[in-house]
Amino acid sequence: MTAGPGFGRLDRRVWLLAPALVVLTLAFLWPVGWLLSRAFTQPQPGLGNFVQLVRNPGYLQVLGNTFLISAIVTPICVIIGFPVAHAMTHSGPRIRRTLIFVVLIPFWTSLLVRSFATVILLGRNGPVNGLLEAVGLTSEPVPLLYNLFGVLAGAVQVLLPFVIFPLHAVMLRIDPTLLPAAMTLGARPIRAFVSVYLPLTLPGLITGATLVFISMLGYYVTPALLGGPRQTMVAQVIQDQIAQFGNWGIAGALSLTLIAATGVLLFAVHATVGFRASVR
Amino acid sequence: MDFGSSALSTRRSVLAGLIGATGWLGSGFASPARAAGEFAGKTVVFAGWGGAYQDAEKTAYCDPFAKETGARVLQDGPMNAAKFRAMIESGAPNWDVADITIDFLYAGTGDNLFEKIDRSIIDTSRIDPKFVHEYGVGCIVWSYNLGYSTKAYAGKETPKTWADVFDLAKFPGKRGLGDNPVATMEVALLADGVPIEKLYPLDVDRALKKLSTIKSQTIFWATNSQSQQLFVDGEINLGLILNGRAYDAAKKGAPIAISWEQNIQSVDYLVVPKGSRNREPAMKLIDYMTMPANQAKMANLLAYAPTNPKAFADVDPQVSSWLSTEPGNVKKGFVINAEYWRDNLKKNTEQWTAWKLS
Repeated sequence: MTAGPGFGRLDRRVWLLAPALVVLTLAFLWPVGWLLSRAFTQPQPGLGNFVQLVRNPGYLQVLGNTFLISAIVTPICVIIGFPVAHAMTHSGPRIRRTLIFVVLIPFWTSLLVRSFATVILLGRNGPVNGLLEAVGLTSEPVPLLYNLFGVLAGAVQVLLPFVIFPLHAVMLRIDPTLLPAAMTLGARPIRAFVSVYLPLTLPGLITGATLVFISMLGYYVTPALLGGPRQTMVAQVIQDQIAQFGNWGIAGALSLTLIAATGVLLFAVHATVGFRASVR
Repeated sequence: MDFGSSALSTRRSVLAGLIGATGWLGSGFASPARAAGEFAGKTVVFAGWGGAYQDAEKTAYCDPFAKETGARVLQDGPMNAAKFRAMIESGAPNWDVADITIDFLYAGTGDNLFEKIDRSIIDTSRIDPKFVHEYGVGCIVWSYNLGYSTKAYAGKETPKTWADVFDLAKFPGKRGLGDNPVATMEVALLADGVPIEKLYPLDVDRALKKLSTIKSQTIFWATNSQSQQLFVDGEINLGLILNGRAYDAAKKGAPIAISWEQNIQSVDYLVVPKGSRNREPAMKLIDYMTMPANQAKMANLLAYAPTNPKAFADVDPQVSSWLSTEPGNVKKGFVINAEYWRDNLKKNTEQWTAWKLS
């Protein structure tokens, strides 16, 4: 915001945010904050829940596993999403529109429906295995479900739009003459791409990767339906603690730990890579 | 979204949440008083597990009760122990009669959550004394059984005991077990040779070690509907499943059969929460559930066994082989130790989670 019509005018326009802030506070900040505060008050006031988190088996492992799975999903989404965003940016209007719809329509479909659909697709006697056997690549069903592959298949297809759209938005703003200019200066195409194009897409890349990573951390349905025991993620444990044991304290403690760890990670990423990108 | 119901929350019928919602919305308000019954003008709210099970309970118990006493019976649910507890602790529970699992019966009794069963209204002498508790009356008996695919083992030797589930060589293919230490740990210990009398308190480390031998070949189902679906889809060849669920799947054409060896039995109880504003009609409704004719109706619908021994006279003979209280079946199994699980569920669940990730 540049120094425009004067500080006084800017102040008043800020009040336009008030209704949104009120809704946000009443519907989100206050109830969630109250819930999270139970981490410190139930069953007894104090840090007992956090002590249990560290001492009792299972909790730290689940948190670690959650971050691990998210860390696997994120680069896969980026690697698959980047070419799609690139194609969307540099193709004619008709193909671009088609691509946008191809990405958007699944995005608008319910997550639950898509997860169940993935279960049907990847089953032992499902179409994917059927195709593999019909083509002759395999002689018996391959386990595609209830393992890491199942979770990846389910998660990546759902999270791709979160990478594709930010990247597409950033790519649209990249001056199309930069690449040819680099090449006239002697750079081979790959070198030009890596040192000119790629760094310019970094802000979109980071936004997309961050969105994917954080979303994946909280996923419940995908690992519950498509994963095996080794893909247990923290949302399932939080749900168990609340529904089975009514243990709001531990659930709150787990949630807070997740939020804190995520915050630290994000800060680290943006402090190093993110900052450099925006300075450019 | 009752999607996360664990295997401990027993036979949450097929699509409990979805069908339950339409089920209870559709069932709505019970038939109006035909004659001036003793409870005309009163309302009783019954909370069950939704879906086919609650539909059956409505048909077998709630409707006859409403007709005869003139009370209005409303259906609600699905049952959730944490939600029920919160309701009672707030002092004004919405539910008057609830169908709960035995471990919650013990936990709730310890925390003073239920009204004492009023023996002047409820004829508890009709019920097998094993299933009568100071604060609850047993309504159905069900069991964890070894289910297996009749297609996969057609013409071959079929699995009979839990040890067979751990025998990857003799019975190849994927297995199914509940994503929950309850019953799964018992299964592992029994397979490892622990005799039933020496089962409790459970040797958790030994159970987990035994489970590790088949972990990579096992699919852990999170809901009872999933356990049925895995058999229907042919994803697993054998595993743990509730007897009523197996019956339901078989009725719908799935190639599944069950073995009664070492079956693990449990009971669901009907309770009245402390602070219920309709205590008397609630107790009377429970009394209706002790009548043999009504219990037989339930058994015929869903193969969940009656707690009133006289009900067997009216049970369809085809269903009786699927019932957990059929004398031949009862002998082969044992009742799960609910007190043990009341005291150890939290600890064991933590170890279970850690083991899953190892």
